[in-house]
Order: sequence, then structure tokens, then C-alpha cells
Amino acid sequence: MTLAPNPDAVSGFFNTFSGIFIFLIAVATTMNTISGEFETGSITPLLTKPVSKNTVFLGKIVASFLTLIAIYAFLTVYVIVGSVVIEGSQNNLLLAPLGLFGLTLATMVWASMVILLGTLSKSSLVAALGSFGVFIGVTIVGTILSSVYGQTSVLFYAPGGGANGSTGSCETFPRSGTNFATGTDNLGYLLIQLVLNPSAVLNFCGVRFGPGGREGEIFTASSDTVATVALRALAVAIVYLAALLVVSWYAFRRSQIVESA
Amino acid sequence: MDTHVIQTENLTKSYGTRIAVNHLNLTVEAKQIHGFLGPNGAGKTTTIKMLVGLLRPDSGSLKILGMNAAGDKPRIRERIGYMPELPKFPKHLTGEELLDVYGRMYNIPKETRRKRIPELLKMVGLEGRGRDRIGKYSKGMQQRIGIAQALLNDPELVILDEPSIGLDPVGMVEVRDMVKEIVKGGQTVFFSSHLLAEVQQICDHVSIINNGNMLFTGTLDEVASKAGPSRRLVLEVQKASDSILHALKALSFATVNTNDNTYTLHLKTKDDVRAEISRAVSAAGGVILRMQEEGGGLEDAFMSLVGKEAE
Ligand SMILES: Nc1ncnc2c1ncn2[C@@H]1O[C@H](COP(=O)(O)OP(=O)(O)O)[C@@H](O)[C@H]1O
Ligand SMILES: [Mg+2]
Repeated sequence: MTLAPNPDAVSGFFNTFSGIFIFLIAVATTMNTISGEFETGSITPLLTKPVSKNTVFLGKIVASFLTLIAIYAFLTVYVIVGSVVIEGSQNNLLLAPLGLFGLTLATMVWASMVILLGTLSKSSLVAALGSFGVFIGVTIVGTILSSVYGQTSVLFYAPGGGANGSTGSCETFPRSGTNFATGTDNLGYLLIQLVLNPSAVLNFCGVRFGPGGREGEIFTASSDTVATVALRALAVAIVYLAALLVVSWYAFRRSQIVESA
Repeated sequence: MDTHVIQTENLTKSYGTRIAVNHLNLTVEAKQIHGFLGPNGAGKTTTIKMLVGLLRPDSGSLKILGMNAAGDKPRIRERIGYMPELPKFPKHLTGEELLDVYGRMYNIPKETRRKRIPELLKMVGLEGRGRDRIGKYSKGMQQRIGIAQALLNDPELVILDEPSIGLDPVGMVEVRDMVKEIVKGGQTVFFSSHLLAEVQQICDHVSIINNGNMLFTGTLDEVASKAGPSRRLVLEVQKASDSILHALKALSFATVNTNDNTYTLHLKTKDDVRAEISRAVSAAGGVILRMQEEGGGLEDAFMSLVGKEAE
């Protein structure tokens, strides 16, 4: 048996590697980031050295960011080599670094949530479980909102998978064109699409239920160009990232070392 | 110009409703070896954590080396050394690596670090163990590396929180020697302890704290004389009599309590008055079986101040 060559395997990787995968990577790299220092007690000698709390905090964030870049760089190279060997020559390999950057940024959104909970609770367990709760909550609420209420616009401004966009029409069935998620989780793929097809139009479909629970009707809730969608997701990711980090930074500055030895 | 190395005014800190440090006024002058003495739970660690910026005071003011120490003050921290109570360091580092990382935080140049780190390891008795991971260090060795890292920057003020806690007797003596070694360099040392004997052996000044309140601060001699009750002399005679009691009561330097054949004299003098007492008793026709001085030292002073038994 021979596989049909797939020249888009690499960009496909950036499309599918999202959601729970990047969430778990975020948790794995940052659950101990600040909470671990509190838990082991090594925060005490650290904070009594002539390094400002701001520098300590910044150092932790930069270290998390670099760790994520390193993980994804490794993964990307692995995927590229694997795809070229198995699927043959690949399209748009020059855009892989952009995908890598988007993926890292997407993961940093969840990572900053983990860091915030870790800083507030000083517990890595709370950081991991608490952010998992947020992740599940956002996912469930998002699904309900989008499928039951036919509301997609709220998903544009939530972290995570976001709304599903389609290049095909919502009203025809089976749906034509390509579908992909457009949330902050998918920044890697979105940034690649931003370069490749900025003016392509994405339709966001909603479901409308008739009175008395009659069968739902699918309609086009909104339409945007890929450029708008990708840049909006980028802005949303940056706003979440900044807000979560600012709150963490404030919490870290205010934190006291009350634990008795 | 402020010569106080540490100065707190009405420093106060509570944990919930429990007041751990209550309007504490503490002054430590340059070049003192200042003991911070008090039983467990007295508020020593809480005070020290406020001094080094790990805890925010609820109220009161706090100056270190003449600078206001409230908030995040790296400029102060670069001039002091601090050893936490039962310090914990990253386990994956070796002793040498730890001192090197911390040395870089103090901006100590590489050549200086390379020279100073082995010296420090030797001084704290970790010679030859610098390449071992801290995770494999015993409790005592962690205390030692804790002292070493507090001295890295050649600090003007060294703050040690119970440096000898958890050490065996030999280790405790060695820590005392280290502290004495530190002050040879002219530094000020402020260290806490719940052991009177330790403070007595090392310090020239002492501040005694209990239940968050400062009970006494001054030189060791002052504690014994001012804070303590008068010296006691216990006198046992063969047979008590009114004439003996009368003779003892006539002594100007003591007050007397009686109990069977024993008299307890509370002395108001520091002189050796045993000869006078024995003459007075003989003159009254008594025979002394035993004459013994009790307490009156620092131990007594401490006990009466703190009002509870030490371990
Ligand atoms: N993290 C904490 N939470 C609540 N109470 C504490 C905490 N740390 C210390 N305390 C209380 O504050 C008081 C002073 O404690 P501490 O400063 O550690 O005393 P010391 O160092 O003299 O043994 C004690 O009553 C202690 O129980
Ligand atoms: Mg203590």
C-alpha cells in the first residue's frame, strides 16, 4: 500500500495541534513556575538576594516562553522531517517558523493562566487542576453557546478553540470548503493562513431552533476575512496573555512568605 | 547620619487575629553581636522576615542601614546576608553551583567567586562536599551552606535565624565558632536563638522577646542585674531560732524568708557576703549546715522575664 503524497502535512500539523494538547504542554511547563519555589521553600533565599521581585518574575516568564519555544521547535523539526520522509515534499515550509510562533503564543495564554493560579495559591496542584477546570469550563460553555444559542461572536473573544470557520456556505449540506477552528489555540495555523489566504472569507454558522423545539436551522451567523479572523485571534491572545500576566505579577509582588519552616 | 544598623519602631505583625509581633522597638548598633532571644513562638522569625522584606509589617517603621526597609529593596539586600530558619535550597544544585548562582545575583565577579566560594565552604565545614548535590546534604550541612550563602557578599549586617537549630552539640559549637569568626571581620551580627546558653556565649548584646513583646534589650550584664531578681543565698542551720532570724534581719544587704530550718536571703549586693553571714549566725548561736548561692544569673533573669520553663 502506498500513501498518497500530502504536501500540506506540515501546515495540517499546526491545524490539529491545539486544544487539549497545547493546554497540557502549558501545564507541564509552568505548573511549577512560581508555585514550585513556594512549595520547596527556595523562594526564601531567592527573594532575599539583591534581585528585585520584578526581575525574578520576568525571569520566570521568559524562561517559560523559551522552554515552550524549545519544545515546539523540536516538535516542528520532527514533524517536518517526518512529513518529508513519509508524505513527500511539503508546501510552505518557510511559514513553519510563523506557525511555531503562533503555537507558542497560543500556549502562553494557557501558561499564563496556570502561572496566575500558581502564584495566587502557591500550589502547583491547584495551578494544574484549577486551570484544567477553567479550560474545561471555557470549552463546555463555548460549545453550548455556539451550538445551542447559535452565538459565535462571543467565541471570538474567549480563549481556547473559538468558533469554527468554514470557507463553504453554512446553508448547503454537505458543507463544502474547508473548516477550521479560529480561537487563540489555533494561532499557529491562523497566522499561516493569514499569509496564504488573507482575503478568503470564513463563514461562521449558527443554529436556530424553531418554536416548540422544532428541528434546528443552520444559518450564517457572521462572515469575516481570514485576515480579520487571524488578527482578531492574535489580539485576543495578546490581551489575555497581558491581563493574566499583569495580575500574576501584581499577586507576586504582593506575596509574603508566611509559611513557617 | 544614622548609625543604627537595625531600627524598628512599633513594628507590628499579625497572622489573622494572632499578634505575632507587637509594637516592637529594636535597635542594633554597628559591630554588635546581638542575640535575639525568646522561646519558640515568641515572634523572632516573624520579626526577622520583616527585616529582610519577606513579610510586610501591619504597622510601624523599619530601617536597615539607615534606609527605609519597607517594600522590595534590593539596594538593602545587597548589603546584608540572611540565613533563613531551616533554609531550603534548590535540591538539584550542588553546593558550589548554589553559591555561584547566588554570587552572580550579587554581581560578584567571576574571579572573586572562584576564590571566595571554596573559602566559604571551608569555613562552614563543607570542604570537599561542594560538588555534592544539596538534595544529598544532611540537615546540618544545609544549615552550613545556609551560613555560607549569607556571607557571600561580605555583608555589613548578617542576620541568622536560629543558626544552630537542628544541629548536634558538636555542630552547635562549630556554628558558634563560625559566628565569632564572622565578627572578626567587623560585621554586625543579629541572630535569633531560643537557647540562652548560646546567646550568652556569643553575644555582647541581647534583646529578649516573648509573645511578640520586647521584654528587655541591652548588654548581657544589664540583663543579669536589671532584669533579674536579686541573688539568693540559701542557708540551712541545725536548728532555727528567733535569735538567728533576728540577726539575719539585721543585715543591711539582705531580706529574709524562713522555712523550717532554712533561711532564704535575697541579696541586694554583688559582694561576697558569706563570711559576714556566717559570723552573724554564729554570734546568734546557730550552726550552719549548708550555705548555697542560687540563681541570680542570666538564667534566672531570663526565666523571670519569660515566665516559663525553657526546654
Ligand atoms: N504562617 C503562620 N500562620 C499563622 N501563625 C503563625 C505563622 N507563622 C508563625 N505564626 C505564629 O506567630 C507567632 C510567632 O511565630 P514565630 O515568629 O515563628 O516565632 P519564633 O521564630 O520566635 O519561634 C507564633 O505564635 C506562631 O504560632
Ligand atoms: Mg523561629
